[in-house]
Amino acid sequence: MNETPTASPVHCDYLDGTTTRRRRVALRVEDGHAVVEGEDIARRDPLGRVRVSERMGSAPRLVSFPDGAFCEVRDHAALDALLGATGFRESFVVRIQARWRWVAAALAACVAVVAAAYAYALPWAAEIAAAHVPPGAMAKLSEQTLEVLEGRFLQPSNLPQDRRTVLARRFVRMATPDGDQVPHELLFRSSPAIGANALALPSGTIILTDELVALASSDDEILAVLCHELGHVQRRHGVRKALQSTVVGLVTTWYLGDVSSLAAAIPAALLDARYSREMESEADAYGARMLRANGLSPTLLAIMLERLEGSRKPDVSPGTKDGKETDDGAGGYLRSHPATEERIRALRRPAD
Amino acid sequence: MAETPPLDAAIFPTTSRPIQSRPAPEPLKFTGSGSEYFRIWIVNLALTYLTLGIYSPWAKVRRMQYLYRNTLLAGSGFDYHGKPIAILKGRAIAVGMILLYQGLTLVNPTAAGIVGVLIGLVMPWFLLRSLAFRLTNTSWRGLRFRFEGTAGGAYRVFLLWPVLASITLGLLAPAAHHAMKRWQHSDSTFGRTRFAFAASTGEFYRVWSMTAGLVLAVPLLVGVVALVAGATGWTSTDLLPRDSGIILLVVIAIVGFYVGLLAVMPFFVTRMQNLVWSRTSLGPHRFESDMRFRKTLNIMVANMFLTIVTLGLYRPFAVIRMARYRIEAMTFVPGESLDHFLGQQAREVEAFGEEVSEFFDIDIAL
Repeated sequence: MNETPTASPVHCDYLDGTTTRRRRVALRVEDGHAVVEGEDIARRDPLGRVRVSERMGSAPRLVSFPDGAFCEVRDHAALDALLGATGFRESFVVRIQARWRWVAAALAACVAVVAAAYAYALPWAAEIAAAHVPPGAMAKLSEQTLEVLEGRFLQPSNLPQDRRTVLARRFVRMATPDGDQVPHELLFRSSPAIGANALALPSGTIILTDELVALASSDDEILAVLCHELGHVQRRHGVRKALQSTVVGLVTTWYLGDVSSLAAAIPAALLDARYSREMESEADAYGARMLRANGLSPTLLAIMLERLEGSRKPDVSPGTKDGKETDDGAGGYLRSHPATEERIRALRRPAD
Repeated sequence: MAETPPLDAAIFPTTSRPIQSRPAPEPLKFTGSGSEYFRIWIVNLALTYLTLGIYSPWAKVRRMQYLYRNTLLAGSGFDYHGKPIAILKGRAIAVGMILLYQGLTLVNPTAAGIVGVLIGLVMPWFLLRSLAFRLTNTSWRGLRFRFEGTAGGAYRVFLLWPVLASITLGLLAPAAHHAMKRWQHSDSTFGRTRFAFAASTGEFYRVWSMTAGLVLAVPLLVGVVALVAGATGWTSTDLLPRDSGIILLVVIAIVGFYVGLLAVMPFFVTRMQNLVWSRTSLGPHRFESDMRFRKTLNIMVANMFLTIVTLGLYRPFAVIRMARYRIEAMTFVPGESLDHFLGQQAREVEAFGEEVSEFFDIDIAL
């Protein structure tokens, strides 16, 4: 052969695809053909029918032929020179994998997508899905929650029957801000454990503690809290929150994989607390509109929030409560006070 | 790379190396690096996100190829041959099934229950296809592995045995696990050579009971201490008021339980890999595995901690670290030259079994 090779041959192993016997061969390129020569083997294939595997760190690269035979190459520099001489170009993905600047861009893209999914897509999807949760499922979810709370955190109310009737009647007569029907049921409970508080369950069951009734200086203030709770019910916050934390929990468990679900529960719980803050503002807005629609001032709710803030007890109950935030359960990790102040300010702001 | 060649290889060219009765043991090597794997992982993840998931099979193939090709036995790498399009189809079917199931749970729980049972009933078959897909798409020196287990076997080990294990409240779980591993390992082939599995049920019971002991040791010990203390009136001494003594014991029991829980996976992984592989043979060849519990524990705990602290960014490094340890703990003990394996015609296997079982997070690797 008179031709001058453009790159020196690559020494590698040749495997024929039918046995595990390795043959030492030399691989070179000649006239647009890949030529393999070595221990009782000689073959020549057009370059168009030869495949070169991606570079994967120091792993051997494979130059494969259509019949399943291939060369296993460990001399990366020699192969690069050979490939370079044929005008071979690595794929786009392989090229960006090799550049730290592109890797950083990929990382930024991933973070942006995850953040957007968490901040926008998840709440949006949960809102849509929540609208399709049948009442039966919500009733069941609420029943289970109530079952957990009853006895452990909630005891029968000590309020006189007529006081309860008056409050319940006044609340029933209040018009919703949009004139729609929001089915609900008011339960009176005493709860030294939870303290002054009100809870809304997805089914529309609103639990009002004796402690909150005692804290309020007028019935209007209690109604203001109930309007806020009805906001949670109307906006389906309970179901949305349950759906969101289920998804977050599933994703983190799946992602952390071999890590025990114990560890996966921690981030899920921390992320979970943030939703309730946004939902609180939504419920405040609904409560404020409902108060106005009934000739009452949203300031009543602001006053109650201040009173609740003042009566804070160390947190004891799990999950579903509000009125005061669940956040301080995370050991002050997520400070809730600024959020409450912000809510109070928003309620005191005159309506546009 | 800088290995000194054995004396005879220096004197004789490799082809005419004198015939040895028994080739030297071949420790498996892993040449993957965390930083390379991280770059592959993050770039392909970004592409997956930006294509709304459509790119994910290509990402998977690249990750698998990185791990397989960097695993070397006797100087030759393994290879992964899964086709992205096949995986994409499999994922589409898996996602469809899950959406159907999840959608039904919201709309009609009864129908969802029926669908759930149906999925459970086909699951053994999916797992069979999954094993077949994984092995068919694995090769070494150009020869494919293959899984020849039958549907009957799959239903026996993935349905019958688990049911028996749960009826007996877990007493038969080690036997079920043994049946599964035996089925998996003895129905696999490399080329025309068949794997064989010789571990006994008793050996599985031993690993399982030691693992259970690990979780229950501290709480049981505390229970005994509490009983003794109660009987001797120790808790009411002046040193500790009665209540705080009990609280202390309860706290120790709980902490011990969780520490035990942390050690369970590393312990089980270590002992199982050692047991399963040292009882597996391939024709005249056998395997050895020498994982150490302390080392596995260190790696897994560090991996978990760093993965959480870096909000998941450490994960590719963790995967590589664990893979390196598990792979390099293995040694292939040849019974004859490694050049004599013969291949057989490769069969294509659809990917959906693999993808469905992956989506339901069923791990049959242990």
